[in-house]
Amino acid sequence: MKSALTWKIIAKCSTTKARVGKLTLPHGPVDTPVFMPVGTQGTLKGLTTKQLEELNCQIMLNNTYHLGLSPGQELIEELGGSHKFQNWNRNLLTDSGGFQMVSLLKLARITEEGVEFQSPRDGSIMLLTPEHSMSLQNSIGADIIMQLDDVVSSLTTGPRVEEAMHRSIRWLDRCINSHKKPETQNLFAIIQGGLDIDLRKKCIEEMVKRDTPGYAIGGLSGGEEKDVFWRIVSLSTDLLPKSKPIYCMGVGYAEDLVVCSALGVDMYDCVFPTRTARFGNAITSKGSLNLKSTKFAQDFEPIEKDCNCLTCKKYTRAYIHMHATRETVGCHLITLHNVSYQLRLMNSIRQAILNDNFPSFIQQFFKELFGGKDNYPIWAVNALKSVNIELLP
Amino acid sequence: MSLSFNLLKTSEKSLRLGRLTLIKNQEQNILLDTPNCLAYTSRGCVPHLTPDNLQAIPLIDAVSVTLEHFIDIQPPPSTQFPGGIHKFLNFEGYLVFFDVRDSGKLKSVSYNTDKYVSIYTCHGVRQITSDSYIKYMNIYKPDIFASLADKITDETPSLKRIKKSVDRTLKWLDNALSNEGIQVFGVLTGHNNQEERIRSAQETAKRNVAGFVLNGNFLENTSRERINMLKSSLDHLPSTKPRLAYGLGTPEDIILGVSEGIDLFDTAYSVKMTDAGHAFIFSLDLKNDLDSSKQQQQTINLWDTNFRNDVQPLLIGCQCYSCQNHTRAYIHHLLNAHEMLATVLLMSHNLYHYTNFFKTIRESINQNTFFQKAEQFFKVYGEQKMEETKNSTIIYN
Repeated sequence: MKSALTWKIIAKCSTTKARVGKLTLPHGPVDTPVFMPVGTQGTLKGLTTKQLEELNCQIMLNNTYHLGLSPGQELIEELGGSHKFQNWNRNLLTDSGGFQMVSLLKLARITEEGVEFQSPRDGSIMLLTPEHSMSLQNSIGADIIMQLDDVVSSLTTGPRVEEAMHRSIRWLDRCINSHKKPETQNLFAIIQGGLDIDLRKKCIEEMVKRDTPGYAIGGLSGGEEKDVFWRIVSLSTDLLPKSKPIYCMGVGYAEDLVVCSALGVDMYDCVFPTRTARFGNAITSKGSLNLKSTKFAQDFEPIEKDCNCLTCKKYTRAYIHMHATRETVGCHLITLHNVSYQLRLMNSIRQAILNDNFPSFIQQFFKELFGGKDNYPIWAVNALKSVNIELLP
Repeated sequence: MSLSFNLLKTSEKSLRLGRLTLIKNQEQNILLDTPNCLAYTSRGCVPHLTPDNLQAIPLIDAVSVTLEHFIDIQPPPSTQFPGGIHKFLNFEGYLVFFDVRDSGKLKSVSYNTDKYVSIYTCHGVRQITSDSYIKYMNIYKPDIFASLADKITDETPSLKRIKKSVDRTLKWLDNALSNEGIQVFGVLTGHNNQEERIRSAQETAKRNVAGFVLNGNFLENTSRERINMLKSSLDHLPSTKPRLAYGLGTPEDIILGVSEGIDLFDTAYSVKMTDAGHAFIFSLDLKNDLDSSKQQQQTINLWDTNFRNDVQPLLIGCQCYSCQNHTRAYIHHLLNAHEMLATVLLMSHNLYHYTNFFKTIRESINQNTFFQKAEQFFKVYGEQKMEETKNSTIIYN
């Protein structure tokens, strides 16, 4: 199908499956591997678009379900789409809206036609079809849009998983057929198939035939065993075409980003860094700090010494402790740091791949974050072993 | 370090243009042209604004910080910080004014005694003595602090209570003045009693204070009534020292306060309006063709659904970050979605607008057009009572 992006691999790791790419989208370049922060309702949790630009954020997410409720499809179209609405001139990605239906709403029911749900506004029964999702996403106008998929929990087993996989393929066809702006918006397919290797293979085989501009690995990060998770990711990057960007949905913990990049994933999104900030947690290369804790009341160090974000340059942990969860500024400062951390981590990953020292970067990263061999998560050890990396003791 | 106040211009009435000069060291001095405002802070930050967003409001040169917000934990961790309060709060380029109680949320907590004032912290009521206050100030090293005051928060205090408040406040002022190194503003009391207000003003004026603090909270309802009450104090102050007043926040309050010779105000009102979802649109530079028979609005309420598809900025022509980048429709959406960027953008605009309002006041005094403009202002806006703001606290996701 038509594509509104170009994708060029600039460097490959000589040990792992990692790669650095230049993705060019209608609203500018994106360096991959990339972490995309989530601005659910057309705003990234208290940060201005200027602050995001200064953090060198090249792409963020908006959620179709939320924007569909408010300001609503008609209005966002009248106002010229989501970029204009929020004054964000860089790239946007929207999801299909289906995941929120299933995760947020109690009364969601999935039929061949689409996802049936009870409107949170007036309680009436509504239906989100692949056609409706495309129409909404065409109105919002993001640079990358996602197909509506049949999402089942990654803990589900049995025939429902296979049904969902086949239905996702049928819905992809309906999305392709109803997508009105393929010349400015890139539709990504979402690989389903649960934790079943054969179903995943089948799904990839069918979806690759549709030749969408990029592919997402869906149906993971739902509480499944991490040791299974990485195997599905690795299988997907092996089977998907090397010429297309691969997006692993809902991944955002630092160690997951590092491991999945080694497995060949190019794009990620997660609400974790911004959500955890609102609870007063700052992310660092040595783990998370809960700045609400009184142990930081007299800690006059910055959150991270070598971090060059505004928060770390100007304020101490003690100052942020005073504000965490009490003043919105406390939340803004931690959010700023956390987004900065994620983007900085991705930049270090890219630099390491470009310099072809990604393996030693990974070894250092794990040692700093977990302190040593005894604390390494076994799934990560296994995943890295599969791409020829042994962690340091 | 030195602090001086010069009157650049005075008129036959009490109207005045002044300049507060703070020389911190050889490299740094801060000039504060008056009339002006001190940015209100909560727990040492200007509400909703990270430092880059605060810096985008170029006319803010001074902040007012409140001890009440810092001493919930004992000993206060901020007192252990080695670099002083400017550095701790990242206010190194600003004049920092300290007071004991929160001027925006002044409320009765418990009684005061000859020894201490009761204050409210997020961990409950604490007592502060004149000595402990001075001790904190010597650690924090603000540029100016207001002396400890026995502020009356009862609605109908007895004369005995008012007299006691004047006596205690003077006694604590003497104690503060015996401490050297930091400039002290004397706090005027006397509540609603004319004679006691005069006594407080005269006694404070005799002392070696750098300026005066007046409190317009708890006084009458309308701007004129409040200013008249303060006037009985102002008439007995020397013209050569700056006067700061709390509780005068609306544009009417400011215009009337400036007319009576008040030099400094705080910005608690702009925070209150921001939290209520309002944006300032009032102006002192009114065009003559405005229909003065129709009362104009001073603010717009962004919760109003009429703004849902309004692609204008909050105020056409405004140079603030919000107006240069965002629409009313977007801010209306952010409020409805309970998104924190709503108050970031509103606070940015409101403070920008508020500080610019002071600038136009200074310019009009300089050009001898202040009274003419003030008259036009009251004609166009009427004497609005403080608008009932929607008292909904924004709940963030």
